[in-house]
Amino acid sequence: MMRTINYGQAINEALAEEMARDKDVILYGLDVAAWGGIFNITKGLLDRFGPERVFDSPISESAMVGAGVGAAIMGLRPVVELQYADFILVAGDEIFFKAGLWRYMHGGAFKVPLVVRLPSGATGAGPEHSTCPEAYIMHSPGLLCAVPSTAADAKALLKEAIRLDNPVMFFEHRRLYQKRDAIPEGDVTLPFGKGIIRREGRHVTVVAWQYMLSRALKAAEILETEGIEIEIFDPRTLSPFDSETLIESVRKTGACLVVEEGYRRLGVGAEIGAMLMEQAFGYLDRPFRRLAIPDVPVASVKPLVDRVLPSVEDICATCRELAA
Amino acid sequence: MIQNDQLKHIFAKALLTRLFEARLIKLTAEGFLPPLLHPGAGQEVAQIAALSALNDDDPLLYSHRGVGYMVARGTSLSAMIADMAGRAGGTNNGKGGIMHVVDVPNAVYGESGTLGGGLVLSVGMGMALKRRRSDQVVIHFFGDGASNRGTFHEALNWAAVQKLPCIYVCENNGWAVSVPTSVSTAVENIADRAAGYGIPGEVVDGADPNAVMAAISDAARRARAGEGPSLIEIKAIRLLGHYAADPQDYRADAATVKERDPLVTLRQRVIDLGLLSEAEIDAMTADYEAQVEQAVETVKAAPLIDADQAFADLYA
Ligand SMILES: Cc1ncc(C[n+]2csc(CCOP(=O)(O)OP(=O)(O)O)c2C)c(N)n1
Repeated sequence: MMRTINYGQAINEALAEEMARDKDVILYGLDVAAWGGIFNITKGLLDRFGPERVFDSPISESAMVGAGVGAAIMGLRPVVELQYADFILVAGDEIFFKAGLWRYMHGGAFKVPLVVRLPSGATGAGPEHSTCPEAYIMHSPGLLCAVPSTAADAKALLKEAIRLDNPVMFFEHRRLYQKRDAIPEGDVTLPFGKGIIRREGRHVTVVAWQYMLSRALKAAEILETEGIEIEIFDPRTLSPFDSETLIESVRKTGACLVVEEGYRRLGVGAEIGAMLMEQAFGYLDRPFRRLAIPDVPVASVKPLVDRVLPSVEDICATCRELAA
Repeated sequence: MIQNDQLKHIFAKALLTRLFEARLIKLTAEGFLPPLLHPGAGQEVAQIAALSALNDDDPLLYSHRGVGYMVARGTSLSAMIADMAGRAGGTNNGKGGIMHVVDVPNAVYGESGTLGGGLVLSVGMGMALKRRRSDQVVIHFFGDGASNRGTFHEALNWAAVQKLPCIYVCENNGWAVSVPTSVSTAVENIADRAAGYGIPGEVVDGADPNAVMAAISDAARRARAGEGPSLIEIKAIRLLGHYAADPQDYRADAATVKERDPLVTLRQRVIDLGLLSEAEIDAMTADYEAQVEQAVETVKAAPLIDADQAFADLYA
């Protein structure tokens, strides 16, 4: 019988195991030490690894990420928790230029083994605390981008991220922290750039990850009762992106819908659509479609949030059109 | 008290820097090199004095103004020209040009293209040294203009609260491109800000290598003893334009600045102290000019950087 834990615990286990394995792994961020983080992900790590390796940083997001780059250049393997993914823009220079470009600009003179953990997603805390800014990361050379959807993937991808010699932006969806899943025992990692078909089907390929994946899976159950079988592809990492598995799926279904929690314009879906146009045009026998936040901020209160987040019903409706 | 051989060393490196940079400027005028060069003339004596107070394996993050830092560390002259010229044999494979010279074996860790961007990196470098119980200290140079970035505040506060082995060296040359410090900065001395972080701050005259070395030595001793960072402000002189071909129309001190050249002062001093004669300095000059010329020839003979380098070095 496989053990069942939640996504937040999976991240905690990955951190603990990697810190036990490699003394160069350090962890810091706001409130991560004594308190265990505002989302309670780092609980117990201070007691286990001590204040030299687990500590609270000042509210200095530029320095949090910049220090991570500096420490990584000097051979540590820092894991930084940015309290909210939205704050990547507060540390913009440090994420996009320092983590992303510093190695390239200096001719590969050093490596930047940095992980920035980014709790993302709409939670009702207002437009500056509710986004899924993966597209910014995908747009920027030098950065890797992970978007685990299950507890097992979160653990395996985070362990891999910590071992990689490149900077990883690790998105953790806030609405998934309590989600429970079966998790394999042992030292399991997952390679970046390898997605997974979560559900097989023959009418439409739906690309979805994290919170939108759970909505796509619900939609699939509803659609199945109507005789529509959707195939669901979870990319696991967005940079690198497993276009091979997606194209194989589209070849089978002839249609593709991307469901994302980011803004629509120039979002992840826009890139996937363009990629399919360039590499898989012949397999698409219906227009490529996407569901995303319709280019307005994600507000605080539930009715407004629900109005803009792609819903199970939106996914069903679009799939019905595509399958018709 | 500074030793005579140290003073001679500082003069020699500063002279080489001045001659090297003058040749680079000439090569930009000739079109062999692109004009994007921020001359450090007037600041090299202090830069080299500062680095002479440290060990050669103390990690260095430098500022865009000049090449004195790298000359002090012994980075190859031809490699620096190649970085600028887009030829093979440089330090950064054509990715960073002259602004991002890197030389990890000599503990030169690069420069941030965004002003003040290195300040926050230095914090992490200090964290790594501290965690390793290393005896090294990070030295980071930046301009007075850059000290108005938020990264200055974030880095100094963090380094201070965690007592990191970092030395922050502000080279205040009175200008940020065309803007005088008085227009951009409310405090008289950048070093006064150290009080806001609970760390030592000191102002030194950039024409006085003794003062610079003493301040950096003290800062290094504190850092190595686990007492945390220091902020040293060098009152510096920018003899030339913001970049090589800057006409400097905005400049109020243009007529008098040359009279304050620290290298001229130091030259006289080493002569007065009997450390070097005029003739010996002439011979040094000829020797350095030949070294520089040799480096230029090496680069001119080197092939252009392979264009496919555009795709290399991004991921490890
Ligand atoms: C964040 C950022 N803003 C602006 C610039 C453009 N810039 C390059 S050098 C410079 C002036 C710097 O002044 P200072 O820090 O005093 O150094 P100095 O040039 O006087 O040595 C400016 C504005 C930049 N590189 N980065």
